[in-house]
Amino acid sequence: MAGKVLPENGQVGENVKFDRIRRITGYLVGTTDRFNNAKRAEERERVKHSLS
Amino acid sequence: MKGIAVECPEMIHKRNGVPVAFDAKKIRDAIRKANEAARVEAIAPYQFEKLVNAVVEAIPEGKTPNVEQVQDLVEEKLIENGFARTAKAYILYRAEHTKVRKTEADLVDIYRELTFTSAADADIKRENANIDADTSMGTMLKYGSEGANYFVDNYILPKDIAAAHINGDIHIHDKDFYMLTETCCQIDLIRLFKDGFSTGHGYIRQPRSIASYASLACIAIQANQNEMHGGQSVPNFDYAMAEGVACTFRKEYYDAVQRYFWLEYDCENVLGDEFRQALKNAMPERITMENIDDYEEHFVQWFTECKEMWLQKLPEEEDIRRCHRTSIRIAMKETDMATYQAMESLIHNLNTMNSRAGAQVPFSSINYGTCTSKEARMAVRNLLKVTDIGLGNGETAIFPVQIFKVKDGINYNPGDPNYDLFRLAIKVSAKRLFPNFSFIDAPFNLQYYKEGDYNTEISYMGCRTRVMGNHYNPKQEVTCGRGNLSFTSVNLPRLGIGAHKDIALFYKELDKRLELCCRQLLHRFEIQKKKTVKNYPFLMGQGIWMGSEELGIHDQVGEVLKNGTLSVGFIGLAETLVALTGKHHGESEESRKLGYEIISHMRDYLDRKSEETGLNFTLLATPAEGLSGRFVRMDRKRFGKIPGVTDREYYTNSFHVPVYYPINAFEKIRIEAPYHAMTNAGHISYVELDGDTAKNPEAFEAVIRCMKENGIGYGSVNHPVDRDPVCGYTGVIDEVCPRCGRKEGEAVSIERLNELRRKYPDVPVYMDANH
Repeated sequence: MAGKVLPENGQVGENVKFDRIRRITGYLVGTTDRFNNAKRAEERERVKHSLS
Repeated sequence: MKGIAVECPEMIHKRNGVPVAFDAKKIRDAIRKANEAARVEAIAPYQFEKLVNAVVEAIPEGKTPNVEQVQDLVEEKLIENGFARTAKAYILYRAEHTKVRKTEADLVDIYRELTFTSAADADIKRENANIDADTSMGTMLKYGSEGANYFVDNYILPKDIAAAHINGDIHIHDKDFYMLTETCCQIDLIRLFKDGFSTGHGYIRQPRSIASYASLACIAIQANQNEMHGGQSVPNFDYAMAEGVACTFRKEYYDAVQRYFWLEYDCENVLGDEFRQALKNAMPERITMENIDDYEEHFVQWFTECKEMWLQKLPEEEDIRRCHRTSIRIAMKETDMATYQAMESLIHNLNTMNSRAGAQVPFSSINYGTCTSKEARMAVRNLLKVTDIGLGNGETAIFPVQIFKVKDGINYNPGDPNYDLFRLAIKVSAKRLFPNFSFIDAPFNLQYYKEGDYNTEISYMGCRTRVMGNHYNPKQEVTCGRGNLSFTSVNLPRLGIGAHKDIALFYKELDKRLELCCRQLLHRFEIQKKKTVKNYPFLMGQGIWMGSEELGIHDQVGEVLKNGTLSVGFIGLAETLVALTGKHHGESEESRKLGYEIISHMRDYLDRKSEETGLNFTLLATPAEGLSGRFVRMDRKRFGKIPGVTDREYYTNSFHVPVYYPINAFEKIRIEAPYHAMTNAGHISYVELDGDTAKNPEAFEAVIRCMKENGIGYGSVNHPVDRDPVCGYTGVIDEVCPRCGRKEGEAVSIERLNELRRKYPDVPVYMDANH
C-alpha cells in the first residue's frame, strides 16, 4: 500500500523516532537501537575531527 | 596458620563478589593437585611453603584480593620458581574449571534469555547490529549459534585454546561456525556469468541485459552468503555491469534500427529476426558505445549494397546514416534508463532479500571506479545517482557497502577519465556515508597492480578484509575467488596491563599469544580442509573459489582453500600503549613509535609463520563489534578500573586513535596510515566530520586526498545522517527536525506537511482513512 494512514485527528508522527544512521565496524546500521552496549558507548563518545 | 610466615589478607572475594575468610591452605592444595597432575616434577614440602608464601607476599598489603588475582599469582610464582610443568597443569586445571563454570551456567540460561528477553534488554541479542534477534528467525539463529558455541567449547577445542577464548586472552571469531565453513569471498561475476551458472536449485543462462546482470549479481551474493559466515564482495562491479550495459545497448540499437526502417519505409520485413541476424553477421564487430563511428561506415556500406533485399522504397545514403545516428541516440537513452532501473533494483534487493534463515540481508560489498569504458561509467553513474536518492522513502541504503577504488591516472585528478565519477562519489558519500574509498596507489596495494587487469586491483570486503599476496601460490597474487578462512583476535590491552611497563616481557607474552592463535587457526583449518565440494554447492560447485573448478563433487577442498588467508587480529592498541607508557599514540611521539613496533612485530611473526607453513598467515586490524565490550568487561573485572585502559565500556577499534580523543583529521590520518601497510589482512581508517563540513565537497575531498597521499589503504568519512520519517528530511537532526520543526516523538499537523510538500516533493504522502 502506498502512503501512510492519516490518524483521525489530522496529526502525524506521535511517538515516531528519528532514524539515526551510524557506521559501526564498517557496516551502516539504520538505528542505534540494535547497537550492543559497548558500541552505543563508543558512538556516544565519538568526537568530530577538525580540518584546520 | 602453621607454616605460613607471612601476613595473610583477612578476606578474599569469591567469584560472585562475596567476601569470605582467606585460607592459604587452599592455595597449597591447588598447587599440590597441579603438581600431582604434572607427575614428573617433584616439589619438596619446603618448596610448597615457599611457593605459598611467595603468593601471599605478592598480594598488595591491606587489599582484599579476588580469586582470579590469586590464581594469576600462583601461575606467576610457579613459573618464576622454575616449575613449568606444574604451572602448565595448573593453567589447564584452572581453564577447565572456568569452562565448566561458564558452560554449566549456561546453555539453558542463555536459551531462557534469548526466549524471554527482548533485544532492547539483552545485550546478547545485539551482538550483531544487522541481525534482528527479536524476529523468530533471528532467535532461531541465536539458538543455533549458542548451541554450536557450547559444542565447540566443550568437545572440539583443545583445552588450553578453549580456556584462552573463554577467559578473554584471545577471541575466536565466528566460533559457532568452527565446524562448518569459511569467512568471505571476492566473487568474480564476469567469470561466474560466462556460460551461465547454477545456484543448486536450478540452472541460469548467461544474462543478456543490464537488468539480468544486476539481479543475478544479487542472486550470486545471496547464494554465496548462505554458504559462508562472513561477507560477500564483488571486486569488479563496474567491469561486470559494463557487460550487461553493453548487452542492453546492442539490443536497443538493433530494435531502434528495425523500427526506424519499419516506420520510415512502411515495411514489416525489417522487423523480423532474419534482418537482425543478417545485420549482425555482416558487421565485422558488434556495436558498442565505443565503436559507433566505425560501425556507421560498415553499416552504410552493407545496407547500401543489400537494401533491395529488405525494402521496396530505397533510402539514400544520408538516410541510412540518419537511421544509424537516431538509433544510437535512442539506444543510449533507453540503456541509460534501463541501467538506472537495474541499479535501483540492485540496491533495493540487497536491502531486502534474506539470507541465513531470513534473519538478515547478505553482508554485501561492491568495488568499482576504475573501469573507464562508457558502459561501466554509465553503470557507476547510475548506481551513485540511485544511492544519492535513497530507498523508497528516501532512506539511506545500508547495503551494499560501496567502495570506490581511487587510482592515479584513472580517476584521481582533473583530466583523468573517471575523475567526474570520483567527484560524484564524494558528493554521494557526503550525503549517504557510502561509498568508502580504497587506494590502489598505496605501495602495498600498488605492488600487485597491473594496468587493465581488475584481478590485480585491490578490493576490500566492506568491513575491511583484503586478500592479495599469496605465499601458497605466488603466481596467483590476485583478489578474485579468494577470501579469509577464519580469524582470531588477541586481547592486546591485557598483555599491556600484565607486562607492568616491562616491554621485553610484553613481547615475550605477545609471542606466546601469537603462537596460540596460529595453532588455533591451524586446528580450525584442519577441520575446514576436510570439507568436500558438496558442502559448498555454489562457492565450490560453481567454481567461484580459486581452483575449485578443477574439483569433483566429492573432492576435499583443503588444497584450494590454501589460497585463502588465516588471520590474526587485534583490538585496543591505544589502551595497550596507555598501559605500557601512560599515553596512547594520539598523544605522544614515543607511544607512536612503540605502536608501530608492536604491530610490525606481529606482522613479522605472521610472515615467518607463512614462510614456515606455505600458508597465508596475515595480520588483521580487527573490526570488533561484540568483542569491543567483551574484552574490556573481563579485564576490568580482573584488573579493576585503570584510567585510559579499562575505564570505558569498549576497547578502541584495532589501531585507531581513540574516538573520544580530540585530534585534527589530517593528523589522525598521518598517525594511522603506517598501520595500513602492516595489516595485510585488512584495515580501515575513519575521520569524523560534522554535518556542515561533510557537505563541503572541497573539505571532503581534502580528507580523501590526504588519505591517499599518506598511504592509507581503505578509508571513509563518518558524519551524522539522520532522517525524520514523518516529513522525509535527511540530514543532521539535533533535538528539533529542521524541516517540520517537531521534536522526537511529537506530532505535526497534516496541513503543515502538505504545505511543506509544495517546497519539498519528498515529504511522504499520508492517506486519509476517513475518506
